[in-house]
Amino acid sequence: MRRPVIGFAGMTHLGINSAAAAAARGFETVCFDTDAGIITTLKSGTLPIVEPGLPELLEQSKPRFAFTTEVIELKPCDVVHVSADVPTDDQGQSDLSGIRALVDTITAGLGRDAIVVILCQVPPGFTRTLALPKERLYYQVETLIFGRAVERAMHPERFIVGCAALERPLPPAYGTFLSAFGCPILLMRYESAELAKISINCCLAASVTVANTLAELCERIGADWSEIAPALKLDKRIGPHAYLGPGLGLAGGNLERDLATVCRLADAHGTDAGVVRAWMTNSSHRRDWALRTLHGEVLAANPKAVIGVLGLAYKEHTHSTKNSPSLALIAQLEPWRLRVYDPLVPASVVAHPDATGCASALEAAQGADALVIMTPWPVFRDLKADQIARSMAGRAVIDPYHVLNGKAVVAAGVDYFTLGVPPLRAAGPTC
Amino acid sequence: MLGARGFIGRTLVSVLQRAGIAALPVSSADLNLATDGAADRLAAMLQPHDAVVMLAALTPDKGRGLQPFLTNIHMAASLCRALGNVTPAQVVYLSSDSVYPIATGLVSEASCAAPDDLYGMMHLAREMMVKSATKAPVAVLRSTLVYGAEDTHNSYGPNRLRRMAHTDGKITLFGKGEETRDHILIDDVAALTMLVLRHRSIGTLNLATGRSISYAELAQKIAALLDKPIDIIGTPRQTPITHRHFDVTAIHKAFPTFTFTLLDTGLAKAHAEMLRQG
Repeated sequence: MRRPVIGFAGMTHLGINSAAAAAARGFETVCFDTDAGIITTLKSGTLPIVEPGLPELLEQSKPRFAFTTEVIELKPCDVVHVSADVPTDDQGQSDLSGIRALVDTITAGLGRDAIVVILCQVPPGFTRTLALPKERLYYQVETLIFGRAVERAMHPERFIVGCAALERPLPPAYGTFLSAFGCPILLMRYESAELAKISINCCLAASVTVANTLAELCERIGADWSEIAPALKLDKRIGPHAYLGPGLGLAGGNLERDLATVCRLADAHGTDAGVVRAWMTNSSHRRDWALRTLHGEVLAANPKAVIGVLGLAYKEHTHSTKNSPSLALIAQLEPWRLRVYDPLVPASVVAHPDATGCASALEAAQGADALVIMTPWPVFRDLKADQIARSMAGRAVIDPYHVLNGKAVVAAGVDYFTLGVPPLRAAGPTC
Repeated sequence: MLGARGFIGRTLVSVLQRAGIAALPVSSADLNLATDGAADRLAAMLQPHDAVVMLAALTPDKGRGLQPFLTNIHMAASLCRALGNVTPAQVVYLSSDSVYPIATGLVSEASCAAPDDLYGMMHLAREMMVKSATKAPVAVLRSTLVYGAEDTHNSYGPNRLRRMAHTDGKITLFGKGEETRDHILIDDVAALTMLVLRHRSIGTLNLATGRSISYAELAQKIAALLDKPIDIIGTPRQTPITHRHFDVTAIHKAFPTFTFTLLDTGLAKAHAEMLRQG
């Protein structure tokens, strides 16, 4: 049997990374999108997204790629993945119209026996509603993590696949493709797979919320969460890879979307989702930690403080500012002068009446009364505490992600605030 | 300004007048909202360009039982009927953190309002009544314990502790004073209310500093203000220890440049004013 030809409809962050992994695994890969601009960009060798390792992966697999806006060019594909983006509103409700439209668009171009795999994040029950022959329709859980997309696509921990009939084996083409990644393939009904994705995110949300809740307590009672977390990870019931790093709430939109989905389903079906609502409440509370710290430690005493902000992206290794904690903080700092820097995101994204874009982190610290590190870019770890202290006018570093060495910052004469531990105060008078 | 003769009302009227804002103080002597005909008389006073600040209430020291509850509801009903006839530019309702059950934990505006007693229920009911009665923008301000030299209520807080210390040379605490509460200076309540009026704000805001302190610590701070030794005495505990803390992020977001008076500063100010008053 010849190697299956794999198609991806929707050149989204998910689609591009998944296609790159397919080609890297030796499969001829057809990449389709209705947006001619994206296809032109990809054809030219330019990437519309940032992911570590992606340019190299695409370069090495170049001969196996075809980019197209022509649906008919999907005909040779044995498996076509639908990898559309699923926008959500501010209630966490997904707009699934894009997926349906894309499925309708590609149906005309599919081969007679082509397998269609829904790779998008959808609520339970969605896949079964699609008007496609169920013996050729599958749902596959995607596990994209911005900043680690290539690693996740090339080395999945397992494939979770939803189908209409468990007694039917996977179609040979689809089975061959998945087997090339060398990981377990878990076959289950559509609704279980759809809920599995949400369940993963619920477990992560639970773990993160435990960390955030207890980290906040640590800050008040003199404990240090970073001393506690390793002990938890050695508990077999919790595990070495548990998400126990404290953060500014549940970052990113996908977790919140899934929690909102669980609440909606629970309300509709009369089950209890109180704990999920508690996670969401805690996330909202924790999200404002940097703002509260700034007000309590700096702005109350220094109403004219200049604030340096390092990082604008929502997380490191990405240009995405969607749901960025940094931009959310900046939106609450209108009365103050800001100096901002991000290695990738231009300062022009900042909607603020008095924000100066700086060319480096140290330049952003120049003359700042407080320095807030809101995106944990690795490059910020290279900053020397004494350089920061010399650059700043004030004496407060607010570093929720513990990018810097707190002890070094304090030794340089600057108060240090991070999640999960009480404030570290420099000796002597502070600002 | 309905309830203008009370502790908060007097201060707020004074602040408004100093700011050059025309204020019409209305006390129960001018217009008893709990009497028949009050609604019509109030409606006759109101102009569409006015802001109405509702402070009038029988406070907890007048009782937390059924009769004060009903009287307070009657007052609100009069206001609501007046608002039905005249839509002002804004209504500000001064409520209380008693709308939150004491077991809430960290209190924010998102916390569930489920009062433990009739006093809290009264405020919650009045909030709803006012919001339902008018098309005007409504701001609900839920205040924590307010302190200041002019407070005559003598509730368990800085004023009573200070009076105990000054008069008796001792401060008597419930239990060992373990419970924590947030205390806000009257000046800050007035300043925040002014901001709400200036911005014609809508919504609910807790008026609290975000820094709670135990009564034991409070007693020590007050004792330190006096120039004679003050005994701080505990008593056998009659009720469980409860705590109240506020997340005041909403104030930071609504009024970013507002800063609270530190408790030490506020206590010293109130003490100095009390000394001047003798």
